[in-house]
Amino acid sequence: MNNKRILLIDDEETIQEVVQLGIEIEAGWQVAIASSGLEGIDLAQAQQPDAILLDVMMPDMDGISTLSNLKANATTRSIPVIFLTAKTQAAEKDQLQSLGVVDVITKPFNSMTLASQIAKILRWEM
Amino acid sequence: MEGVHKFPNQQLFFQAVFERSNEAIIVIDKDSHIVEINPAACALFGETRNQLIGNLISDWFDFPLDEKIAEVQWQQTDGSSKTIEYNRVRDLLPNYHLLVLRDISNLERATAEKLEREHQRVKLFAEVTLKIRQSLQLEEILRTAVTEVQSILQADRVLIYQVFADGTGMPIKEAVLPDYDPILGVEFPEEVFPEDYRELYTKGRVIAIANVRDPHAGLAECLIEFMDEWRVKAKLVVPILQNLKSTTEIDGDRLWGLLIAHQCQAPRQWTEFELELMQQLADQIGIALSQAELLENLEGLVTERTAKLRQEISDRTKAEFALRRSEEQMRLIANGLPVLIAYVDKQQHYRFNNEAYQTWLGLPPSEIYDCHLLEVHGEEEYQQIRQYIEIALSGKTISYERDLILLDGCIHSLSITYIPHLDDTDSQIVLGFFALTSDISDRKAIERMKDEFISVVSHELRTPLTSIHSSLKILATRKLGSLSSKGQRMLQIADEQTERLVRLVNNVLDLQRIQSGKVKMNKKACNATDLMIEAVQTMQAMAQEQKIKLLVEPVSWTVWADHDYIVQTLTNLISNAIKFSPCNTTVWLSATREQQNPPQQPTITQITFAVKDRGQGIPSDRIETIFERFQQVDSSDSRKKGGTGLGLAICRQIVEGHGGQIWAESCFKEGSTFYFTLPELINSE
Repeated sequence: MNNKRILLIDDEETIQEVVQLGIEIEAGWQVAIASSGLEGIDLAQAQQPDAILLDVMMPDMDGISTLSNLKANATTRSIPVIFLTAKTQAAEKDQLQSLGVVDVITKPFNSMTLASQIAKILRWEM
Repeated sequence: MEGVHKFPNQQLFFQAVFERSNEAIIVIDKDSHIVEINPAACALFGETRNQLIGNLISDWFDFPLDEKIAEVQWQQTDGSSKTIEYNRVRDLLPNYHLLVLRDISNLERATAEKLEREHQRVKLFAEVTLKIRQSLQLEEILRTAVTEVQSILQADRVLIYQVFADGTGMPIKEAVLPDYDPILGVEFPEEVFPEDYRELYTKGRVIAIANVRDPHAGLAECLIEFMDEWRVKAKLVVPILQNLKSTTEIDGDRLWGLLIAHQCQAPRQWTEFELELMQQLADQIGIALSQAELLENLEGLVTERTAKLRQEISDRTKAEFALRRSEEQMRLIANGLPVLIAYVDKQQHYRFNNEAYQTWLGLPPSEIYDCHLLEVHGEEEYQQIRQYIEIALSGKTISYERDLILLDGCIHSLSITYIPHLDDTDSQIVLGFFALTSDISDRKAIERMKDEFISVVSHELRTPLTSIHSSLKILATRKLGSLSSKGQRMLQIADEQTERLVRLVNNVLDLQRIQSGKVKMNKKACNATDLMIEAVQTMQAMAQEQKIKLLVEPVSWTVWADHDYIVQTLTNLISNAIKFSPCNTTVWLSATREQQNPPQQPTITQITFAVKDRGQGIPSDRIETIFERFQQVDSSDSRKKGGTGLGLAICRQIVEGHGGQIWAESCFKEGSTFYFTLPELINSE
């Protein structure tokens, strides 16, 4: 399963780089990058990725608004979304999970094990 | 008939009786004419025999002829009257009657005078007694006694001589005429007042001597000389005896002293009246003495009791003053404190409110005094606080927080504590409760700021950490090229320290969240063995790396706990045990079950978990502090062992959040055992 395409929506450039490189090295998957919610929605519609990694805290349009847009759009509604967040409280995680994401991965994470973490969540074979 | 006296001629004899009789004898005829009359009758009428013979008796003397014996008042021409005792014998001879008259005027007067004297004596005695008895003061009693006796007896000197316990004595009161020397204060020589005299006086003997120089008086020469010295010619001495029973338990009389009258001008024959008067006055003095002594005792008692009462009053006044001052201080403090303070009785009526009720809520204490809480706070608010009121009135202290709009129109966060007021004698009885309300708005604002700050820090630290951590992990794969061995070493150090930094950030945030109470323990039934095995599995890799064996003793009990947090606690403890154990040793995990029976409370059953190692042990002076933040046994541990210094603090917060306790027992150099307790879930079925 080396043909997975992941869309990362995160405004942090260093995160973009380490996630992209880590996933590519670990699993050989393609990682597309969007630096904002709006850009991410466009890319999701255009590229139809297998999964979206969505940062919660972003300027302009935050992760929650981005998610609601993705879920509102018929072409992106069924793409599984995983939140990336620095918020670690159980209540906060529960709240985020209730919005319709498949899971929440908290920072700091290890980008070299991120692909296997995603595969486990989405029950992909690696 | 030698020796036999021959009775004279009868006629001559009766003639002599008639002539010489002191009684007035008159013979009258049937018409009351005087036929014969004796000289005594002539004297009574003041007429000669010739003037009286043949005349009617009634011309001189009007008396009741019908009466046989009578006593009549005979009015004299000079206006005076005589009392005549009259005795009539009718028909002494046929048609001749005998009248015998006797003037008893003098006898009657003498009797009257005698009665009068008696009366005077009684009156006098009563007056003196009254004067003596009027006072209960001994000094005054004695002074009155000598003055009155001297006045009544017209004695030259009257004195009271007091006998002391050793037998000596001296005059202590005296009334003496100015012509004679006062004897007051002069101690009588022993020979003048010897012991046998005292014994006689104790028996009540009265001594009346008309003339001290009379040999019949029997006075000793020395006493006569002493009498001469004080010019005493006659003396009268009566003992003053005090009845001991009135003041002591002894039944008998004590010779207290003597009441003495002296006649100095001339010898004097003391009359019975005078003796009697002196004796009775001495008796009265004796009674008065007992009474005065009782009074003195009583006064002593009264004085003592009064002093005690004064002291009590003084103490009470001081205590009351101190209490008032204390109350005033308490009131000042209560009013000055920036908290609401109230006392509510069992019927839920306000009994005290401090002035903050006015400034915070616009409720003047005087207006809400005695008002029911429902009346003051309204139905809605009352229903919100009712559950807490009921807890307080059941005898338990309760604290809660609520937001309320105060008089300034702003919402304030308030912390409210109800403390039950228990009866001093029976702690089961609740009399009411104290309500303390403090404004915690500032604290809440700071807490919010802190939460926001931590939230920001959390995000701002975690994002760059993710990048650093991930970059290092990628580099370590060597997919981007190989480093020299030194470069690899540097990369390893950077990776390890980044992981440590990640743990530290996670622990700081964990601890902060648990301490703030924001973490909700998601408690459910957890099998104790499962918890231990899960923790062991998590730590297995680390244990293998350190060549430590992890052993679990299986148990069947179920605890009521948050699964994740308890696994975190066990993991922390195992991690510590591994770090501080030497290679090739074992770390044991076990659990035991205990029952506690606190008085008047339901039985508590709890499970005690234990994590035991063969490590270096903990010095006894550090065993308590290791659960504080950043309190490691050795400050270099965090660097050497890669710990954060927060693991045990987090464990404690988690365990306490479950209502349990955590502690450690250790033998230095031999190993440590960490224990924590959790409530057992008892299957209600």
